Amino acid sequence: MEKKKKRRFLVIWLLLLAATLAGVILIKPPESEESVKFMMYDAVMHEYGKISLFGLMEVNPAVVSAFTVTGIILLFAAIVRIFVIPRFKDVPGKFQLLLEAWVGFFDGLAKTNSPHRNKFLGAYIFTAGSYICLSTLFELFGLQVVNTEGISMAMPAPLADINGAICLGALSYLVILGGGIIANGGRGAAGVLKDFSLPISMSFRLFGALLSGLLVTELVYYYITISFVLPVIVGVLFTGIHSLVQTYVLCMLTSVFYGEATEVHEKKKKDEKAAA
Amino acid sequence: MNVPLNINLQQILLHLFNFLLLFGGLYLLLYKPVKDFMDKRQSKIRQIIEESEKMHSEAEEKKAEYEAKIAEFDKYAAEKEKEVLKEADEKAEKKLSLARAEAEKIVEEARVSGRKEHDRIVESAGEDIASLAAEAAEKILSESMDSTYAAFLDAVSGGEISGKQG
Repeated sequence: MEKKKKRRFLVIWLLLLAATLAGVILIKPPESEESVKFMMYDAVMHEYGKISLFGLMEVNPAVVSAFTVTGIILLFAAIVRIFVIPRFKDVPGKFQLLLEAWVGFFDGLAKTNSPHRNKFLGAYIFTAGSYICLSTLFELFGLQVVNTEGISMAMPAPLADINGAICLGALSYLVILGGGIIANGGRGAAGVLKDFSLPISMSFRLFGALLSGLLVTELVYYYITISFVLPVIVGVLFTGIHSLVQTYVLCMLTSVFYGEATEVHEKKKKDEKAAA
Repeated sequence: MNVPLNINLQQILLHLFNFLLLFGGLYLLLYKPVKDFMDKRQSKIRQIIEESEKMHSEAEEKKAEYEAKIAEFDKYAAEKEKEVLKEADEKAEKKLSLARAEAEKIVEEARVSGRKEHDRIVESAGEDIASLAAEAAEKILSESMDSTYAAFLDAVSGGEISGKQG
């Protein structure tokens, strides 16, 4: 019986391999409407392939992706709020443990890096981290959307769009600046403004990291001859790892700079000066 | 103006709007309730730990109190024991001296009565000896008289009586 099963498996496997190879050889690549150069250019610039947002305006596909991701996350959060959280127990189950670890990770990151003021920071990096991680993974699903030219296209990661990355980078900087002003007034603001390159570095790091994944994946998908097996590895590498790494990097940077900006150290200096 | 990289302020604001929507929603629906629950549980555990520590310290205090009481009681018991032993010794000594006096008295009485008895016995023994001596003498006398009389009778009757008696 075992030998029979093995033989059957081998036959099916070899047939499938032969069929796919035949497919690769026999099927002519579709006459693409857009060259790889154009496609790569558009992935960066988003000048074409706009999507109508409820007929109000034409936007980049990343905006629609952003709203879709937000909708999915909020729906999930609402379901959890209604059905799961009221049934929380002191000794947590697996799902409760996952939720607690999720919240606890960002809360702990905020508390560790910013011991003085961390309530708002915890909530902010929780949202930003969840958004970066889940919206990057969202790209893997390849949900389709029709652009204004009537062509179907896969929804990209929201932060692979420069506008999305700038929004998050600049917002993180504003959060740090706000924390500095609230905690230390003008001196705090001056300390944060000193790092004026921070919003740019944050935005472009995010954009560059996610865009590189998108470009390589697009490149692999573009050529049918390398669109077997390889996209899985590339997709997992560039999407999965980037989502985790970029989440950690942005949250860590924001919390570290926020902690530095909100640190109170005026009185010490005065005392030291008086002693000297 | 042509902005490099096709940066679009309107779309940045759309992303910002989207993010703020997500921030508010996630904060209210997930972050705050989960964190509140965790904080509440933490404070509950802290309270339990504090209570147990308080109970532990109370128990330690009580233990120390009881140990002090036990030590005090031991001291009291030792003192009491010493007192009782002393009292018992005194009583025993008293009883012993009384008994000794009693014994001396008994011995003295015994000695006196013994002496009296001795004298009485010696006196009565003298009387007895005298009477015995008298009896013995009488007996000797009677025996000698009887044998003399028998000899006389034998002599008279030619030995008939002594032959019959023999």
